[in-house]
Amino acid sequence: MRSVSMPPTACTGLEPGFRGVICASFGAAGDIAKQDTGGRPRHDLHFASATPNTLSDLRTVLGASHVGVRLVLAGPQADIRAAAAVAAECGLLEEEVTLLSDEAGPRVVYCPHCLTTTIDRAAGSEVECQGCATVLAITDHFSRRKGAYLGYSAHAEEAS
Amino acid sequence: MTMTALKTRAHPAVEGGLQLEVTNVSLQTESIISITLADPSGERLPSYVPGSHLVVQYGSGVNAYSLTESGSAPSEYTISVLRVEDGAGGSVAMHRLSVGDRVYVSRPRSAFAPVSTATHHLLVAAGIGITPVLSHARAAAERGIAASLIYVYRPGAGAHVADTRELLGPGLIECTDRGSFQKVLTEHLTTQALGTHLYVCGPAAFMDAVLDQARELGWSPARLHSEAFGAAPLDEGEPFTVNLVRSGVRLEVPAGVSLLETLEKAGRSIPNMCRKGICGECSLSVVRGAPQHRDLYLTDQEKAANTTMMCCVSRSEDPELELDL
Ligand code: FES
Ligand SMILES: [Zn+2]
Repeated sequence: MRSVSMPPTACTGLEPGFRGVICASFGAAGDIAKQDTGGRPRHDLHFASATPNTLSDLRTVLGASHVGVRLVLAGPQADIRAAAAVAAECGLLEEEVTLLSDEAGPRVVYCPHCLTTTIDRAAGSEVECQGCATVLAITDHFSRRKGAYLGYSAHAEEAS
Repeated sequence: MTMTALKTRAHPAVEGGLQLEVTNVSLQTESIISITLADPSGERLPSYVPGSHLVVQYGSGVNAYSLTESGSAPSEYTISVLRVEDGAGGSVAMHRLSVGDRVYVSRPRSAFAPVSTATHHLLVAAGIGITPVLSHARAAAERGIAASLIYVYRPGAGAHVADTRELLGPGLIECTDRGSFQKVLTEHLTTQALGTHLYVCGPAAFMDAVLDQARELGWSPARLHSEAFGAAPLDEGEPFTVNLVRSGVRLEVPAGVSLLETLEKAGRSIPNMCRKGICGECSLSVVRGAPQHRDLYLTDQEKAANTTMMCCVSRSEDPELELDL
């Protein structure tokens, strides 16, 4: 699982087998600095946004850390949700991850009709699915596996 | 013995179960035997989840024993039984079984299941606690999931040692003294990749020590799985208070006395059968407080919900429990 040619320390400075608190922030998130780690060793990571590259860095860091580690994610919802999905894939449990979101940031919404995800930048209660153009009502139900909020067809009753 | 087992009627705790025939009895150690059971007409048996147990009737009582195979498409069930001389007689009766005897058993029940998302199983067993853990190790090997086992036993008194060696190879660490176990455990608890879950079975004090240390080292409860049963008699427990909210009665449950006994002494009749946390008959609804679950009946999820408890064996984590009675 940890067969990376370059040791993770080379790009992130994390010592292998780390079991403290990893604080990863995206964009200009500031409040993570204040996050209390209860005296446990802490390792900070900063990313401009959640891209395949930065998420793969995060994956490398989590791959090198050991059970006992905790992860704090701060930044816009779309970024920390994507990062939370990576954390779940790496074997971190829900209770081991803390999400500090900039509430106003964009959200990712999952469409159950065509299975695509759409980024909602307006922070409204509805968004048009970029895959099938269904108007989706955004629920509070967040799927960690998909890294997105579940949407449902907002005007289903009217259509029939 | 041959026909006596079936002259008695099926105990309610094994009703709807199976009538099986003993097809093999083999000595594991001086005090542990393995018993193989099969359908008399050669039918395939119900599959089971790794870590499951079987309720087996002996005379008029029942006992639960862990199944030691992986559980997929079994044609026989194998259990290993430690002889407990001063127990309730179940293990002694089991040790008297011989090939050809018939017994009533329940369908397999799962209360110690592996987590399907785990990428590594860290198994920890002491003494006869090896039995459900062996089932986990076998299932992991069949499914190609990594597993390692720390097995603590007294020199010469370990059951299934050859099986575990063959199954786990270098993934097996055998400990025959406390000091070496402590060192091995600490090392394992601090070096596991993130997909790891821990499963422990053994005497209560042993399991508590392992789970406490894991929690101290940052393992969250959802990664920790234990089988709090069968390996040793349950301890006395702490005293606690129950508040019966529907009748407005408060009762003290002293150490060494079960909640079921306390309720019965207070004139309540609570349905029950096995009185040892196996059958599920004495279930009570919990309104408030966290029960200390010590039964084999509820699943992990049901236990975590803290809304139901088996009053014959379970007690309270909190000083007071509120019950829907
Ligand atoms: S009486 Fe059987 S579980 Fe309590
Ligand atoms: Zn769509």
